[in-house]
Amino acid sequence: MLARRGHHPEGNTVKFKHVATAGAVALAAAIALTSCASTPSATPGASNNATSAATPLDTTLTGTITAGGSSAQANAQTAWSTAFHTQVAGTTINYDKSQGSGGGVTNWLAGSYDFAGSDAALTAAQQTSSQANCGAGGALDLPAYLSGVAIIYNLPGVTGLKLSSATLAKIFTLQVKTWNDPAIAADNPGASLPSTAITVVTRSDGSGTTANFTTYLHDVQPSIFTQAAGTAWPVAGTSGQQGGSGVVNTVTAGAGTIGYADHSSIGTATAADIQVGTAKTFVTYSAKGATNAFAAAATTTPSTKGDLTQVLDYSKITNKDSYPIPLLSYQILCTTFKDPAQAKVTKAYLGYIGSEIGQAIAAKNAGSAPLPAAILADVQKSLALVK
Amino acid sequence: MTTSEAVRSRGNAAGATGPRSPRGGAGQARLKSRPADRIFFGLSLGSAVLIVVILAAVATFLIVQSIPAITADWKTSPELSTGPTAGYSSFWSYVAPLIWGTVWVSAIALVIGAPIAIGIALFISHYAPRRLAGVLGYLIDLLAAVPSIVFGLWGIIVIRPLLLPLTDWLNQNLGWIPIFAGKPSTTGSTILAGGVVLAVMILPIISSISREIFLQTPRLHEEAALALGATKWEMIKLAVFPYARSGVVSATLLGLGRALGETMAIALIISPSIGFSLRILTEGQNAQTIAANIALNFQVADALQRKALIGTGLVLFVISLAVNIVARFIVSRTGKSGGPRRRVQLAPPEAASLFVANDPALSPVRGTSDKAEGASA
Repeated sequence: MLARRGHHPEGNTVKFKHVATAGAVALAAAIALTSCASTPSATPGASNNATSAATPLDTTLTGTITAGGSSAQANAQTAWSTAFHTQVAGTTINYDKSQGSGGGVTNWLAGSYDFAGSDAALTAAQQTSSQANCGAGGALDLPAYLSGVAIIYNLPGVTGLKLSSATLAKIFTLQVKTWNDPAIAADNPGASLPSTAITVVTRSDGSGTTANFTTYLHDVQPSIFTQAAGTAWPVAGTSGQQGGSGVVNTVTAGAGTIGYADHSSIGTATAADIQVGTAKTFVTYSAKGATNAFAAAATTTPSTKGDLTQVLDYSKITNKDSYPIPLLSYQILCTTFKDPAQAKVTKAYLGYIGSEIGQAIAAKNAGSAPLPAAILADVQKSLALVK
Repeated sequence: MTTSEAVRSRGNAAGATGPRSPRGGAGQARLKSRPADRIFFGLSLGSAVLIVVILAAVATFLIVQSIPAITADWKTSPELSTGPTAGYSSFWSYVAPLIWGTVWVSAIALVIGAPIAIGIALFISHYAPRRLAGVLGYLIDLLAAVPSIVFGLWGIIVIRPLLLPLTDWLNQNLGWIPIFAGKPSTTGSTILAGGVVLAVMILPIISSISREIFLQTPRLHEEAALALGATKWEMIKLAVFPYARSGVVSATLLGLGRALGETMAIALIISPSIGFSLRILTEGQNAQTIAANIALNFQVADALQRKALIGTGLVLFVISLAVNIVARFIVSRTGKSGGPRRRVQLAPPEAASLFVANDPALSPVRGTSDKAEGASA
C-alpha cells in the first residue's frame, strides 16, 4: 500500500520535471528572440544575430560557474543563466540563492564562489580581506540588477494613495498611527480616508530591500527617520514577516496595512505613489523611473581600480520621470582569478548580464529595471581588467 | 506504527540498562561463534558508535564555530555592531531573550497541545471502538509526516485570520492579564497563532507515546478497579493514570523537545522582536525563538554574525539535549524499577490495601507476572 503510494508521486515528479525543462528551454529561446527583436535600435546588428552583446559572446566556451548570494537577484539569475546556457551550451551556471547576500560574500571570500551576488557593495574590511584570494588588485563590485522599492498598502475604499517622503518616514517610525492622520490627508487632498489604524508590515528576516529602504528614509528624512540604515528593520513594534512574499501576503490579507517590497515581487498588491523631490510631485513606480533615478543619483566611488561601487544621493532624484526609491544589487568578483580559464567563463557570463540584452532579459522575466547604458559600458570596461 | 515500535524498543533499552542483556546475549553466542553472528554484531555496534560520533561531531562543530563570536567583544567589533547582531553588549545579552522566547513559545504550545494529545491518546486506548481507534491512531501518526513548511503556510493562511476575533475578545475582556495585554494584532502574526500551530505539530509525538503507555496498563489492575465498583473514569484515574504518569511526562517532554527546535512554522507565522515579553496577542512585542531567529537572519549575516547565530544554535542544542535527557531519565527510571511497584506506592492507600487484602494468595503471583510483562513490553 505504502510502496504503491510512494511510486505514483515519484512518477509524476519525473514527468513534471521533463515538462518543466522543456518549458524552460522553450522560454529561454523565446526570451532570446523577443529581447533581440525588441531592442534592435539599442544594439545595432543584433536583429540578425542572437549572440551579439556589447562584447561578442564566445559560444565555444565550456565550464561551470559556481556562485550564490542575493535572493533578490534569484529570478533574474534564473533568466540570465537559462538564456546564457542556450547560447553557450558548454557552460553550466549554479547560482545558490539560499545563501543570501551575506552568505554569498562569505562563501566568495572563502574562495568557493566565482562571483557573489550581493545587495550591498563590499565593506572596506571585506575589500581588504578579498586580497587573500584575489591578489593585490582586490575585488570589483559591478552593478547588475536594478529595481525599485514599492510601498504597498491595503486600505479598502482607497486607491491612488500618494505619500510624501516625510509622511512615509512618519508612518514607518509609527508616529502616524491612523489612516486619517492630517499628514496623510495633506498628501491626498479630496480623498476620504478612514480612521482605520495603520499596521506597518516589515521584513522579519535580514534583507537587502530593508537596507535600500532604510537608507532612503534615513537620507531623505534624517530628522524623522533617525534610526541607522541596515539589513535588519530598526523600528520596534511593526509586524515583521518573513521574505518579500511574506510582506506582500500580509499586506494583501490585512486591512489598513502598509509595507515595502521589491517591486518585481508585489504581484497584484496596490502600490502607493511616492513623492519625488521636495515639491508635491508624486510618481508611480515604473522600470523607466527606476532607471532614470539611478542615472540621476548614482555616483561611482571606486574602492579599487575598476570597482563600480555606487553611492546614491537621493536628493538628486527630483525629476518627475524618476521613481524615488531605486533598489540596486551587485555582482562581486576578483580582479585576478587563480584559474585564467575560469576567469574567461565568468567574465563572459557577467558581461552577458551587463549587456543591454542581459538587462532586457531580466526586465522581461524578473520584472527588474534595465541599468542605464553608461553604467553598462563601465561594467564592460571593468570586466576587461579581470584576468 | 513507527512510533509504537520506537516506544517498544525504548522500553527494551530502558529495561535492559541494568544487566546489559545485549552484551550477555553476545557472550553466550561467542561460545559457538559463527561468521553471521560476528558480522551482525559488528554492523549493529558500528551503527551504535556512528550515532555517538555524529552527535559528538555536531557538538564539536557548534562549539568550534561559535567560540569566536561568544568570546568577541560585541561592543567594539565592527562586524557584530551591524546587521542582525547590532545593539547587543555581549553574546549572552543577545541569546538570553532568545532563550526566553524559545521556552515561552514552546510552553504556550505545550499548554494548548498536551491536554488535547493526552485526551486523544486516552480516547484511542480506552474509549474508542477498536476500528475507530485504529483509524484515529493512523491519522494522528500521519500528522507527524506533514512537513513543517506546510504547517507554516496553513498557519499564515488559515489560523492567523481564524484567531483574529479570539485575539480581540481576549484583549478586550481579559486584557488586565499581562499575557493578553498590549495592542492586539491586526494581521494575526501573534505568539498565540504560532503556539496553536506548534501545538498541532507536537500532538502526534505526545499522543502516540501516551497511547502506547496507556495500552500497557496491566489489564488486571483495570479489572480489579472495575470489580471494586469503580466507574470507567475512576478506573482510569486509579489504574491507568498512576501507571502511565511518568510515561506521559516523558512524552510531553519529547513534545517539548520538538517544539523547542521548530523553525519554519514559527519563522513564517510570528512577527518577532527580540526581547523579554509575555504578551501573546500583539504584533510588535512577540518574543523571538532561537531557531526562527537563525532561519531569518542567516542569509544576510556575514562571517562573524553567522558564528554568533551558530552560537545561539549551540545554546538551543544544549537546551534540547537537557530536555531529552530528562525525558529519557524518567522513562528509564520507571522501566527499571518497574511500573507496578511505583504504582502501588503512588496509588491511593485504600485502593492498594483493598487490592492486597482482597486476595492475599493471588496478588503476589499476578504481581510478578505483571512486572515481567511491564519489563518486556
